[in-house]
Amino acid sequence: MQSELEDLVPGSAAADLAAPTHSSPKTPARIQSLDVLRGIAVLGGLGVSIWLFGGFTANQKLQLLQVHKGYNYGMFSTISLLLEGKMLSLICLVFGAGAVLYMQKKQEGKLQPADLFIRRQLWLLAFGLLNALLFLWSGDILFHLAILGILIFPFTRMRARGLVIAGFIAALFFTGKIYWQHADHQSIYAKYVAVLNAEKKIKKDSALRAKEAPKKDAAIAGNAKPALSKDTTKAAIAAIKKDTLTAKQVREKQAWEGLVKSTKYDPKADEGTFKNMRKEKFGEVYDHVLPSIQQKEAQWTYNTGIWDMSSLMLIGMAMFKFGFFNRRWKTSSYLVLSIVGIGLGLALAWVRLYLHQQEILDFEKYIQRYPIPHNLLVPFEKILMVLGYASLVLLLLNTAIFRTVFSAFAAVGKLALSNYLFQSIACLLIFTGYGMGYFGRLEQYQLYLVVFEIWIIQIVFSVFWLKVFTYGPAEWLWRCLVYARWMPIRESKAFATIEHNPAIL
Amino acid sequence: METTSDIPVSFAPAAESNMNAQHFAPIYEKPKPVTKADRIQTVDMVRGFALLGILMMNIPIFGIDRSVYKIVLEGSKANADYTTMAVVYTFFDGTMRGLFSMLFGAGMVLFTLGKKESLTGGPTVAEYYYRRLLWLVAFGLVNAYVFLWEGDILFYYGLCGMLLFPFRAAKPKWLILIGLVLLSIGTFKQLSWWGETRETRATYKEAIAAEKAKKPLTEKQQEAKAQWEQMEKSQKPDPERTARNISKMQGGYGTVFGHLKSHNANNETWGMYHGLYDMIGMMFIGMGLFYLGFFSNKLSTGTYSLTLLIGYGVGIPVGWIFFSKGFADTNFTAYIDQWRVPHWALYDIRRLLLSIGHASVLMLIYRSKVVPWLMKALSNVGQMAFTNYLMQSLLMTFFFFGYGLGYYNSLRFHQLYYVVGSVWIFQLIFSSIWLRYFRFGPFEWLWRSLTYWRAQPMRIAQK
Repeated sequence: MQSELEDLVPGSAAADLAAPTHSSPKTPARIQSLDVLRGIAVLGGLGVSIWLFGGFTANQKLQLLQVHKGYNYGMFSTISLLLEGKMLSLICLVFGAGAVLYMQKKQEGKLQPADLFIRRQLWLLAFGLLNALLFLWSGDILFHLAILGILIFPFTRMRARGLVIAGFIAALFFTGKIYWQHADHQSIYAKYVAVLNAEKKIKKDSALRAKEAPKKDAAIAGNAKPALSKDTTKAAIAAIKKDTLTAKQVREKQAWEGLVKSTKYDPKADEGTFKNMRKEKFGEVYDHVLPSIQQKEAQWTYNTGIWDMSSLMLIGMAMFKFGFFNRRWKTSSYLVLSIVGIGLGLALAWVRLYLHQQEILDFEKYIQRYPIPHNLLVPFEKILMVLGYASLVLLLLNTAIFRTVFSAFAAVGKLALSNYLFQSIACLLIFTGYGMGYFGRLEQYQLYLVVFEIWIIQIVFSVFWLKVFTYGPAEWLWRCLVYARWMPIRESKAFATIEHNPAIL
Repeated sequence: METTSDIPVSFAPAAESNMNAQHFAPIYEKPKPVTKADRIQTVDMVRGFALLGILMMNIPIFGIDRSVYKIVLEGSKANADYTTMAVVYTFFDGTMRGLFSMLFGAGMVLFTLGKKESLTGGPTVAEYYYRRLLWLVAFGLVNAYVFLWEGDILFYYGLCGMLLFPFRAAKPKWLILIGLVLLSIGTFKQLSWWGETRETRATYKEAIAAEKAKKPLTEKQQEAKAQWEQMEKSQKPDPERTARNISKMQGGYGTVFGHLKSHNANNETWGMYHGLYDMIGMMFIGMGLFYLGFFSNKLSTGTYSLTLLIGYGVGIPVGWIFFSKGFADTNFTAYIDQWRVPHWALYDIRRLLLSIGHASVLMLIYRSKVVPWLMKALSNVGQMAFTNYLMQSLLMTFFFFGYGLGYYNSLRFHQLYYVVGSVWIFQLIFSSIWLRYFRFGPFEWLWRSLTYWRAQPMRIAQK
């Protein structure tokens, strides 16, 4: 999320301009590629986060998957194939690359690059908390980027190959966790089947006993022995005990039934959420959102985020060291990687979506039939797609047709933090009851009209802002906080030319 | 400041000189581990004390089901179990963790500012620091998920330590102030939870009154009623849960692992998220106190006597109120009706004072040279704190869990402390013998070797 440009030039630019390191410019496109990718990720990310912003709930997702046709489904599946999860991964990829770049800075005064880096992360953490708790955005990722940034810091010096391996290990952990969950579901199902069999046996037994009972009664009457012996009483109690499921069996049965229920669309399930999100007082919406914020910040990070995000960050660091973002590779390599990455990634995404549908249509059959879960390969789908997208951008970066488009994206990317925060504020005002209260009231395509509007605003704003200022508003504030003093929001003209030759290597 | 590497550097300045980062101007050489000569004995001594003491707080979690607490607290007060519990929770609860956290902060200052930066462009001190902490997090995961110690702190310390770095050279008064603010945030969070719970309780009472008057309940009342009933139930003894817990803990490794897995995950997720103030606050205070020379024996005997007087003089009465009025009150419903502010509000101030009291006592004993052999043995334990901490996990799980000797829940509360005493004696002797032959404990060696990514010399050359 950071614009590494901003930190190439410390407070007093003039002194550094003369520094010899700046006189050996490398490819100017390098920096731009990171900005372009970051811009794409921030804009594209909204395409996915609008679900959560706008009230397209997991429950409604189930409904769409059950029906699986129509405009809304088309929109949903397209976004799921092309963007879902991939935009977060793209941000992570660029973030990792930016971290390596940042650590190549020279020491300024008393502050080492490490100091600046860690301070940046801690302030980013604060921005994340602000974004979540004040702008009520439960899908915030700044918090996670900050923490992951600190965790990957010791890896910045690692060699590229080691980083790739580390990235894949993280992805494998992620896969393992997904698999575990599925295995859990399977064992819940196996227990359920066992309980069903036990129940059948009980029914059979009691029917048998019912048949035999009259005979016994007759025998007892015949022998004229009114009192039952102790042994028979015990046996009778044991038989009755056998007749009902144990508490454990009941729990096991309920566990499966609960699981099945969670895959079924429930038209009433969202009513509470809608009502709460549309409440008009800030405090009321806050109370409703807080548990999901904490869930995302604590549990999601621990269970998923740490592997999900670090894998792409580590690979981003490696790619930076391979010269990928510098466009140091052959054109054909970018072409191959973009075709293979997007092609294979899309194939995996399609299989995932298909299997997910099977899961929703008949959960029991799905658990019986598939030894692996639908989302098993999501970590690799993300890696492939993101590398494919990045290659495609790098391939087209210098072509005349796309130059304008990309420079617009680059502007958005340079203001990534500001734009990201703006999205939260805008959606807070559009969707929650504190604002206009459109939460859960819009159809899929209508949600994307909102997305489109925000895109336009952000692109126009970013381009014009950068005509006047060097840093975005939030980026400027961030810089001031990191350096703990007022920093200029505009740099001189001389800086502007240097800006495109940030010879940091 | 010019320093040659063969002179032991005293990193802890005298109180009045208020030494800070500029005194640690980087001297360019490859960063390397702290050598034995550089160690400050009193820091190790306090750490050793805390390390041994922490077992007092941990052993109930290792060895008994939590239902025992209620039984002991509701039983006779003349009972050895009750007395033991009163002593442990009045004097020690939270203080050992507190001291440990403080010394972790002190160690952080020693590590980052005592090292020289590489001149050849190798990894910086900051990088070694973060590598070290990331390995600590990994050790914490092993301690929790492999050694099956659900009360592990290494995981949290590793993560909290990562937040300290930018503050390593701050002025002591700021460090202490930040520490106090962080502790207050933790207390505030608890208090606001308490306030909410009391509100639920009040609404629950309204609901009951409405039910009696045969009025329909509002949605809020229904919610509060369900919530409160759930909470009251969770505070009541649950024989089935207890039986299940005991039978699982008496099981094989796989059973115990499966049983504790969700505990571990929950602790590491929510304990970290909501509970980090407990640790990081003390770390900040520890950094500040270290700069003031508190842990490195730099203050005057008069000052240590004063800190002892304040620490114990205020801490013990507060601790007693905390125990007798708060901790020992097992009737949750009556308690919540009675107290607008719970006694937990005293928890942090109590343990801060007592921690400082404990450390002051140690310093004064050290100075008086009454039992130099014991102080030396304590500092040996402290020098191998990491090994000793992990060893406690291994010993205790082996002693109590089903795959070891299986003493889980079969000792009485006070009997647990016989085990603690045995482990203390063992660790005091073991550490002293080990350090005669080796430079550091086995796990310290492993940790260092991983941090510097090369096998570190281990043996002391024998003359």
